[in-house]
Amino acid sequence: MYTLEKITFLTEQYNQLIPITQAVRDVAARSQIRSGWVGVVTLHTTTGILVNERVECLEVDIQEALERLVPEDHPYMHARILPSYGSTAGNPTGHLKSMLTGNHCLFPLHEGEMVMGEAQEIYFCEFDGPARRTVVISVLGE
Amino acid sequence: MSLVIDIHTHPAFFEAINADEERLHLRQTCLGLYKTGAAPLAHIFNQMKYAGIDRLGLLPLDLTTTHGVELVSNAEIHHLVSLAPEKFIGFASVDPRRKDAVEVLEYAFGELKLSGLKLHPAKQKFYPMDEGLDAVYACCLRHNKPILFHAGISLQPDAPSQYARPEHFEAVALRYPRLRMCLGHFGWPWVVETAALLLKYPNVYADTGLLYFDSAREFYQHVFTRTLGQHWVDRSLRHQVLFGSNNPRFEQIRMVEALHTLGWRASTLELVLGGNALEFLG
Repeated sequence: MYTLEKITFLTEQYNQLIPITQAVRDVAARSQIRSGWVGVVTLHTTTGILVNERVECLEVDIQEALERLVPEDHPYMHARILPSYGSTAGNPTGHLKSMLTGNHCLFPLHEGEMVMGEAQEIYFCEFDGPARRTVVISVLGE
Repeated sequence: MSLVIDIHTHPAFFEAINADEERLHLRQTCLGLYKTGAAPLAHIFNQMKYAGIDRLGLLPLDLTTTHGVELVSNAEIHHLVSLAPEKFIGFASVDPRRKDAVEVLEYAFGELKLSGLKLHPAKQKFYPMDEGLDAVYACCLRHNKPILFHAGISLQPDAPSQYARPEHFEAVALRYPRLRMCLGHFGWPWVVETAALLLKYPNVYADTGLLYFDSAREFYQHVFTRTLGQHWVDRSLRHQVLFGSNNPRFEQIRMVEALHTLGWRASTLELVLGGNALEFLG
């Protein structure tokens, strides 16, 4: 069996970590699949999916580490008018942070429950907000 | 900090006026914003809040005689303003070659209560000093409404910049010294010409909707500290420069941030970010 749901939401900050574990669990439960895999994928190139511990200090550390690796003030090449869009490409940091976090995560589903470590939280990472974003959650199994 | 106003935004892609997919596609191709999608007002408000912007100037575009369409109509602007009157400042548009141009404008100012006029010489294909425009300018004066002109190069298709060189606006400023007029995009690339007009004519303003190369920070540094003298705005033009982003073509959030890096006095920044817009709007 296979199910797929999309969740769409508005982000409010330029850089923002949004916990989405519960939304993913809800989709897994609605699927009625007992054993298999749950995949979470962002549909954007300036966002990410990240798994880490949900404590404020780590959320700050993660954001600050990404900012050190990908500073705003740098002569990136992706800072110009893109003719195919007709608008400015001013979000190189979003693309590069997205590259660092990756665009997806995967968890096993066993006896109808997602198998997650006690400290693990799934985050949607906004790196070029505010924006309207969509995440795909698919469940594959039986 | 007083009110922050982005005087130059294009609401063509606001979801509230994009129920029709065909109209959205027409806007994408006609404006040359090929991948811009419809945005809900909640998203627009999130952007404003994050950027610290209190109000947006919403600009329509009447292309009746050149392209056979009101790309964004005055009625649509009126509707958007009615949805968030505390956030939106609605401008009118009129194709100046329309035979009923003055009637359209009288209705826009008198009935729709729009706050100013947007004219786009490059897209609407007219020279600002054409005598045919006199009735339009007179109408603005009668209603004490300012005009925001597109000036300089336009990235829209079929919009030759020959009509929008800053030098063409001097005759209008001279003929109508009480008409408040703003040259959008600072007339880029002819920004020195624009600065010269601002220096001479107190009724001429310019907005900061220019981001044609580089990042916002780099381009503003280039234009406002090297192409123009580093102190020109801060010392001489501080009452005539308005913050405008030209969103969604340019980067509203990063442009606000970039204005803070130009070394202007705090009082100058306050004028540019909002005080001058209030004066301009009357």
